[in-house]
Amino acid sequence: MNYNDFKTYFADAEVTEDKVIIKDRLHDTIEFLATKMPFDMLKEITAVDSGNGETEIIYHMYSDDGNEDLFVSTTVREEAETITDIFKSAIADENEIYDLFGVKFNGNENLKRIYMPEDWEGFPLRKDYVETDERLAWNNDSHNV
Amino acid sequence: MTVTTFKLNLGPQHPSTHGVLRLILELEGEKILSCEPDVGYLHRGMEKMAEKMTCVQYLPTVDRIDYLAGFFYSELFIRNIEKGLHIEHSKKTKAIKVLLLELNRIASHLLWIGAFLMDLGATSPFFYAFREREMILRYFEKLTGQRMMYNYFTFGGVRRDIDYLEDVEDIIKILPSKLKDYERIITKNPIFISRTQGKGILDIKTAKNYAITGVNLRASGVNYDLRSFDELYRDIEFNPVIRNEGDSLSRYLARVEEISESIKIISQLLDYLKKAEPLKQNLINPLTMRLPEGEYYSEIEAPRGLASCYIKSTGDEKLYRLKWRTGSYYSVNLLRKLLVGNYLNDAIAIAGSLDIILPEVDK
Repeated sequence: MNYNDFKTYFADAEVTEDKVIIKDRLHDTIEFLATKMPFDMLKEITAVDSGNGETEIIYHMYSDDGNEDLFVSTTVREEAETITDIFKSAIADENEIYDLFGVKFNGNENLKRIYMPEDWEGFPLRKDYVETDERLAWNNDSHNV
Repeated sequence: MTVTTFKLNLGPQHPSTHGVLRLILELEGEKILSCEPDVGYLHRGMEKMAEKMTCVQYLPTVDRIDYLAGFFYSELFIRNIEKGLHIEHSKKTKAIKVLLLELNRIASHLLWIGAFLMDLGATSPFFYAFREREMILRYFEKLTGQRMMYNYFTFGGVRRDIDYLEDVEDIIKILPSKLKDYERIITKNPIFISRTQGKGILDIKTAKNYAITGVNLRASGVNYDLRSFDELYRDIEFNPVIRNEGDSLSRYLARVEEISESIKIISQLLDYLKKAEPLKQNLINPLTMRLPEGEYYSEIEAPRGLASCYIKSTGDEKLYRLKWRTGSYYSVNLLRKLLVGNYLNDAIAIAGSLDIILPEVDK
């Protein structure tokens, strides 16, 4: 794979052994990879809580032309750019990340709680999450045996 | 004349949604204008649990991600952990794993055939498919003690040596003739054909855009079978099943052909396993096991598409973060697009043809 084009457009991207780390222009980067380069599949989006209220979001791109995987990583706080206009599969991934990490994807209108109840407070996969909800048996005195 | 549209709730208790999928359909007459899947009724917090438990405590739960393909998820989890510990398997361990994975794939596809035909209104194929699946489950029970949640693979190998290979021999002797029966009663059935041919067509571009993988992608003409690149399958000959039509019928035919391919893989392994020496392996002590700090990523070709596992470890006995990717989650998302423009009575047939299983979606 020839990354030269990519490097000229995104000079500030840091390319490590297993992923490309970008600071901003996420939407442009993904669009470039999807249209100008053969990465026409977004296998998944992974979110990892990196502490201090920051979330690392890893986009796993794939090209079946040569069977290549590419991980694009970016760090966001509470808001991120949506890429659902490029990849429709991101509707599902962004919704999951919103539900479990509380990251809002600007421009994605489908965001809602999917796994957690609609009135649930907090985002369970964040490291600062504290389970205080009384619906959980171990937080509710009446359930204690 | 005014045109009125209305919303219809399909599920979550509808028998043909295979669990608890709820689809909110907007209809004009019987025509579907939009579809909004609502998932999460079966959420068990698999990813949160991984952060609360040690690896060996978490291991038995991963079979439950997809209860029809338990071997795949435990293999995936173990593979990812072993990546960090740099473990090499012997030829025999690899052969045992492939044999069980492929038998599991057959069992999973057989159940799908039965359930899919049930969706279309045919009851008898369900019993035929379950009869054949039962042979495989009986074998799994003999070998692992469990019919569905095997917990048989472990860090560094398998829990015990393979046995009862004559049962596997019987299975692969009987199955091909049963597949011929299926062809007579299902594939040549004009009602079945008219309800599946040309229905729910998925073109390559849409499939890739919605991150569809596995049989559903291959039935749309993309040659992407992860087994071709899998270390476990390196010495094994098989042909990925590719079809070009992309409709419900081709997804059905692709799965039936995959069963035949799996039978071929199993028969290649049987001769070797029967003559092989007793199993020797160095299991890891799970109590002292620590995954070195770093990020790990593994993939496997599960029956319902690509499954992957991402792990971030800080070197602690509990994992910092674990993420599952499952094929069905993306198939459910595809329904937003695939059902639009079809009639309500086809919705069940199209959704069924994608082989969605809800525990995998909700995790």
